[in-house]
Formats: sequence, C-alpha cells, structure tokens
Amino acid sequence: MAPAGALVLGILAYPVAWEIWASLTDFSSRAEGGPVFVGLANYGRLLGDTWFWKALATTLGYLAVTTTAKLVLGVGMALLLARPSRLRALVFLAVFLPWAYPGGITVIAWYWMLNPPLITSYSVFMGNVKHAVDGVLGAGAWAFLSVMLFNVWRGGSFTAVFLLAGLNAIPTELFEYARLESRSAWQRFRAVTLPLLAPYMALAVFLSFTTAFADLGNVWMLTGGRIIFPVVGTYAYWLAVKSGQLAEAATWTLALVPLLALGLVVLFRWFDPHEETPA
Amino acid sequence: MAQVMMKDLNKKYDEVHAVKDVNLHIRDKEFVVLVGPSGCGKSTTLRMVAGLEEITSGEITIGDRIVNDLPPKDRDIAMVFQNYALYPHMTVYDNMAFGLKMRKFPKPEIQKRVQDAAEILGIQELLKRKPRQLSGGQRQRVAVGRAIVRHPQVFLFDEPLSNLDAKLRVQMRVELKRLHDRLETTAVYVTHDQVEAMTLGDRVVVMKDGWIQQVGEPLDLYSRPANKFVAGFIGSPAMNFIDVSLSDAGGLWAEGQGLRVKVAPAHATRLSAYKGQKVTLGLRPEDLRVASGGDPAEYTIDAVVDVVEPLGSEILLDLRAGQTTLVARVEPAVRAKVHETIKFALVPDRARFFDTKTELAI
Repeated sequence: MAPAGALVLGILAYPVAWEIWASLTDFSSRAEGGPVFVGLANYGRLLGDTWFWKALATTLGYLAVTTTAKLVLGVGMALLLARPSRLRALVFLAVFLPWAYPGGITVIAWYWMLNPPLITSYSVFMGNVKHAVDGVLGAGAWAFLSVMLFNVWRGGSFTAVFLLAGLNAIPTELFEYARLESRSAWQRFRAVTLPLLAPYMALAVFLSFTTAFADLGNVWMLTGGRIIFPVVGTYAYWLAVKSGQLAEAATWTLALVPLLALGLVVLFRWFDPHEETPA
Repeated sequence: MAQVMMKDLNKKYDEVHAVKDVNLHIRDKEFVVLVGPSGCGKSTTLRMVAGLEEITSGEITIGDRIVNDLPPKDRDIAMVFQNYALYPHMTVYDNMAFGLKMRKFPKPEIQKRVQDAAEILGIQELLKRKPRQLSGGQRQRVAVGRAIVRHPQVFLFDEPLSNLDAKLRVQMRVELKRLHDRLETTAVYVTHDQVEAMTLGDRVVVMKDGWIQQVGEPLDLYSRPANKFVAGFIGSPAMNFIDVSLSDAGGLWAEGQGLRVKVAPAHATRLSAYKGQKVTLGLRPEDLRVASGGDPAEYTIDAVVDVVEPLGSEILLDLRAGQTTLVARVEPAVRAKVHETIKFALVPDRARFFDTKTELAI
C-alpha cells in the first residue's frame, strides 16, 4: 500500500496539485516577482474567451470524428484479420506497420503522401485538393483534416490489433453457436460480436481519447506548430512554453477535466456493464 | 424427428486425415454415442453434421435432405457445447430464446417454449440471472434448454458433461437419458468417457485414428468386441492382454509369458486354424475370481498380489503372473495380502482371442 501510495502521490497528485495551484494565480515566466493568488479569475476569463470555445469545439470534433473512424475501421480490420487465411501474417504486418514505426518516420511518410517532395502530376493534384478544401472550409482546414486522417490512419491500426486480441480472447464456441442459430452475418454481428467485443471497444476508445489529448508531437510535426484550428492541448502548450503564460495554460488544461471524467465514467460503465442484480 | 446418414465421410486438413470413410446410419429417435480417445475424429464428425466443419468428401443426410451444402442454420439441428457457450451479456431467458429470436418467432411462442423447457429442466427460478451467477450444473441445464426450445430434428452433444465434477456428471447423465426418453429426438453424442457412452447410447460408435472401429449396442461391444482396441477401450479396468501361442496337447492350449491355460471347447474350433501361431488372449478383470477347490486346474492361473485397491463394492487386485501383469476384480469379502500367491480361476467361455498381427477378434 505504502509504495503504491507514494508512487501515486509522487507522479500524479503532485503535478495535478501544482497545476491547480498555478491556475489560481497569475503565474507567468515573464512577470516580475512571484505569482499572486487571483482566485477563479483565470477561469472567469477563460469562459468569456471565444478562442477557448472554438478550441473546445475543435477538440471535441477531432475526438469524435477520429475515434468513430478508428473504431469502425478497427472493428472491420479486426474481423477480417480474425478469419483464417494464408496471407494473415502478411496482412497483420501491413496493418500494424503505421503504428509500430516511430512517430517521426510515420509523420514524414504521411507528410510526403499529402505533399510529395518531387513535382509530379500527383503533387500538383494534392496541391489542388488542399486549395479546394481550404477554399470551402477556410484556411488551415486541410492541415487540420490531414492531422485527423493521420490520427485515424495510425490509430486505426492500433485499434484493429487491440480488438483482434479481444476477439481471440472470446471462446470460439460463442461464435460457432451464433453461426448455428442466426440467419445472417449482420444479425450475428449485432447480437453477438458487438456486445462481446464492447468491453474491448470501450478500452480502445479510452486509449484513443487519452492519446488524442496527449497527441502533441504528431500535431506539431505535421503543422510545424502553426495554429489555425486550435486544439485545447496544443494551445495550452503554446501558451505555457512559447508565451510563458503558465497560469492560463494550467487553466486551459484543467478545463478539460470535467469532460474527461464524464467520458471515463461512461466508458467504464460500458466496459463493465454486467452489474449483478441479486436474484 | 429424423434419421442421420453418413456416407463415405472424410475430413482432411493440411496434413491430417481426421475422419476416414465413415459410414453410419443413425435411426430416427436413436441416441448414438461417438466415443474414442482424443484425436480419434469423433468431434470432427459431429461438427461436420452440424455444418461447422466443411466436408472433404462424402455425404451427410439429415431427415431426407442431403445437407452437405446447407449452412448450419438450415440443418434443423441444435448443438450443446462442452463449455456451454452461453452468452455472458444475456440473461438465462435471452440465452434460451436466442435461436428463436434470430429466427423471428412470435414473442408469445418464444415465451411458451422457454417456459416449457425451463420447467422440464427445473430452471424456472434462474431465467432472470446471468450465466456468471450460475453453477456449472445450472449452466449445463441452460445449454440443454437452449437446444430443447428449438424443437430440432437432431440434438448434437459435444462432450457436454466433461466440465462437470464427477458427482454432477453422473446425475446429469441420468437426466439426459430421461430427457431423451421423454422427447424422443434423435441424438448424436460425443464423449471420450466410455462409461458415459455405455450408459447413454442406444448404440455406441467406437472410433480411433479417424476410423470407425465398431458400431453396436453397449453390451455387444462389451461382450463381443470386434478388435483389441475396442476390447481394451470398453470396460474399466481395461481387459488384460496376454501374448500366447496355441498348441495341441490333448485339446487346445494357450501358452506364453509364463502362463498356460486351456482354451474352452466353445472357442477351440474357431482357433484351430491358428495352431502353432501367436495370438493375444484377452481376459476381463471381472472374469478372474479366486479359485476354490472345485475349479479344474487347466483353467487356473497362479498370481502374486502386487497392489490391493479396495473400492468398497469390490476390490481390484494388481497381480504378477508369469512375466506379465494382470488386474482382477474380486468380491469385497476377499482378504488378499500384498506378496501373497493366489490361485485364480478364469471363466473359460468369456476369454477373448485376437489375431496378434491384425488385432482383429478371432
């Protein structure tokens, strides 16, 4: 108990407590003198900041779209991979590769896919796509879209492998019985595969959530730090490290805590729905 | 209700030929048990009937339809799995209703069938529970109930009792037998347990290495095994085997491994062709009893007691006789001591003989 307690306090409680304290001050690396306690003033200012609401909406949109896409792709790929096939090992490798490679290399591969270093008809075509997208959705839309696609591309493979492990952990008889009793593959998927896989999907979504929140490196590498569509986490980083506004940065990140907590509670219920009802 | 026919049935995986030329006619309302050691092809055969395994060659007929190309759902069978295959996210009721719901039965009909089956199995109280709240025996009942509600033409059981403890297994065995008497649905049952096979089956199919060894009524298999494998597999403790050669010395004598007994006149004619050759003599443990003064000397064996296993209703004696070992099953009143030499009388008519090369019964 004691070592575990020390670990939790040391690596979790201390930084969180520091952050909460920072958010209640005017802590800034550029100000003269020490930080001064300002109460909830930072939060008040945050709620009135349209830039924050824009960032929040972007973040939630980013989460919803990428998570859904990763889940759909992941389930599909996992089901395909679960079928016995001679090419399985090869396909498995192909699916897993975007995730297994170091982020930097994957990012460059992705960057060159969208923005090839050589002038060819393809690179011209991709340039036109960028202009078309930006033209319709506003400047920076293509960059934002590419970050989302990258997240789906890379995270989808992880979700697939994760869900494949889940599928393999479910006794085959449960699927065989469904084959004996159900009339169509779709029926089988809805009544058996999906509910049995739900706990694993909840975990996958949870991982997608946390990695998306912490996904600073990929956004940074893909956009070069130019922020047109702000994401809460990235913007907080910008505030803290680039501008030294530590109090504001702390406020920005802590504002996400209620949302994250809600998400976790929902996911946990989903993950472990079999509450015993005393008979 | 339906018959099941298998014609020249084969199953080959990449390197393994799992089922070899199986021909079997299971009659309407019959309870047939496939039994054999693991890897003998019994489960694969059952799974081909269910449609869970593809048929490499041959033909399976259920009722009057060839089902080779029918998907499992259209074969009108219901299967019970060894680990029950209950869905953890559904209640007992929903588990039992699953097949009917998938087939879009009207709700009142589903309700009635589930209630009826629950009553037969005595699990009405459990319908609202989840499988994880049930004991092994209760789960087993739900799995059977799930098959009953379908009113299928054929029940398929894949080692349904193997996950239960010994006592519960005996109890469920009786219940399954009673259930079959009541429902009279054709049943194919796979087990590796010969006692289960003997007690449940109207007929028993013994398999080994993908081949059917023998098909017969339980007592037939016991008293007239077709070969050495069946003789050794059916009956517990297993039959004793002694390699002997046959010689003519005032009647036919079997001699070998330090033992010498006379061949009963009932067997002598059949065995005369093997005179001077090696055969295998089979003696069941229950056909060896402690000799009394009146037993003719030519049908007795002297043996030293090695181990005494008192089981209460009987005693098993592990014996050394000549250069071989034997097991005898004797009355509980027998007081045998380790290292004691005892004279055993055999029941000459019940001795079995097998061709040592082909292992077929003579």
